[in-house]
Amino acid sequence: MGPLIVSDIITQNTNFFLAFLIGIGFGFVLESSGFSSSRKLAGMFYGYDTVVLKVFFTAAIVAMLGLLFMSLFNWIDLDMVYVNPTYLWSTIVGGIIMGAGFIVGGFCPGTSFCAAAIGKIDALFFIGGIFLGIFIFTEAYPLLEGFYKGSFRGTPTLPEALGLKDGVVVLGIIIVALGMFWAGEWAEKKFPRKEY
Amino acid sequence: MKNINPRVLLAMFIIPLGMILAFVPANTTHPYKLSPEDLLEYVNSGMQFFTPDEVAHMLVSKDPSLVLIDVRAETEYEKYHLPGAINIPFTSLLDDQWKDYVNQDLRYNVFYSNGTVNANQAWMLTRQLGYENNYVLQGGLNYWVESIMNPDKPGSTSPNEEIAKYDFRKGAGQALGGGAMIESSAQVAPDLPKIAPRPKKKKVQGGC
Repeated sequence: MGPLIVSDIITQNTNFFLAFLIGIGFGFVLESSGFSSSRKLAGMFYGYDTVVLKVFFTAAIVAMLGLLFMSLFNWIDLDMVYVNPTYLWSTIVGGIIMGAGFIVGGFCPGTSFCAAAIGKIDALFFIGGIFLGIFIFTEAYPLLEGFYKGSFRGTPTLPEALGLKDGVVVLGIIIVALGMFWAGEWAEKKFPRKEY
Repeated sequence: MKNINPRVLLAMFIIPLGMILAFVPANTTHPYKLSPEDLLEYVNSGMQFFTPDEVAHMLVSKDPSLVLIDVRAETEYEKYHLPGAINIPFTSLLDDQWKDYVNQDLRYNVFYSNGTVNANQAWMLTRQLGYENNYVLQGGLNYWVESIMNPDKPGSTSPNEEIAKYDFRKGAGQALGGGAMIESSAQVAPDLPKIAPRPKKKKVQGGC
C-alpha cells in the first residue's frame, strides 16, 4: 500500500495539503507543550528541564514502532521510504553549526516559528538569522559544493551498520531512551530551577 | 494507576511492543508492484529506450552517469562488449550481489543484449520491482553495430542533419573501437565505486 505518494494513491497536491494539516498540528503541539520558550529549550543544556529530550526520543520511538508494525501488516513498503542520504562531514559540521545556533539563539528552526507565531520578538530576530544564514550559504554555494557533497556514504541505517534486525535495534533504542528519560529526571531533580 | 510515574507507564507500553518487533521475523515482501496498465503505458511510450546515438554520445563524452549492463551470458560478454559495460547475466539478474547496481538512484543503467528481448525483459522485471533509472539500448547490440560501428553513408543530397549524424556516428564508432570491431583497451569493465543501495524516493524533508 504505502507510502501513499510514491504508490500514486494520492497526488502531490493532496500530499502538500496533508503536510499542511500535519504542520499545523505539529506547530500547535510544539507551542502547547512549551517549546516556544527558549528557557525551556535551553534547560536541556543545563539539566533543569529535559522535556526536549523526552519529546524527541518519544517521537522517534512512536515513528519506529509505527513504521515497523505497518510494514509487518503490509501497509507500507519500507524499501520505498525515503532515507536521507549521508554526507558525513557536511552533516557533522552542519550539526555543530545548528547546535551552536540552538544554544546561542535559544530556538531550533521549527520552534522559532512557533514562538514568532505567539509574538516573541527574539524569535523574529532568530528567523532573520535563519534567512541570513540561508543567503550566505546560497551565495557561497560554489565554494562549498565540494565539501557539501563530499564524503557520500549512501543511506546507511543503524540496523544495516550493526548487522541486526530492525526490531532488535528498535528494542535497543527503546531501552536506551528509557535510560535517558530516567537520567533526565534525575538531572531535573539535581539542578532544579524555581522559575524559568 | 493514579500515582504511576508516566515514565513507567510509557515503558509498560513500548517495551512489549519493542519485544514483539524484536522477535517477529521482518517483513521482506514488497507490496509495491507496478500495475500491468502502468507497465503497458511505459512500454507504449517507449520511454525505456536509450538510442545508440545517445549512448554513443555519453560514452564519447565519458559521462559518469551511464552504466551499461550487458545481460548476455559471460562467454558472450568476454568475446565482445561495449566499452565500460559490466556483465550481469540475465539469469542472475535478481541475485543479491547485483541489487546495488540495478536498484540505485545515481546513474542511468542501460541494459543491452544482442537483440532487445533479454534487455527488455530485464527492464520489465526491475521496473515491476519499482526500481528506477533502468533503461534499454534501443535495437540492442545488433543495431548498435549497424548504426554506430558501420554507419551507412548518406547520399550527397541528404539533408545536413543526416550528414552530421553520420559524421558523429563515424567518429564515435572509431573512438569506441568500431570498424572491424577490434577490442580497444578501454573495453575492460572498471570497478565501479560503491553506489547507494537504497532507491531515492520522493523527498520528504524533516527536522524540528
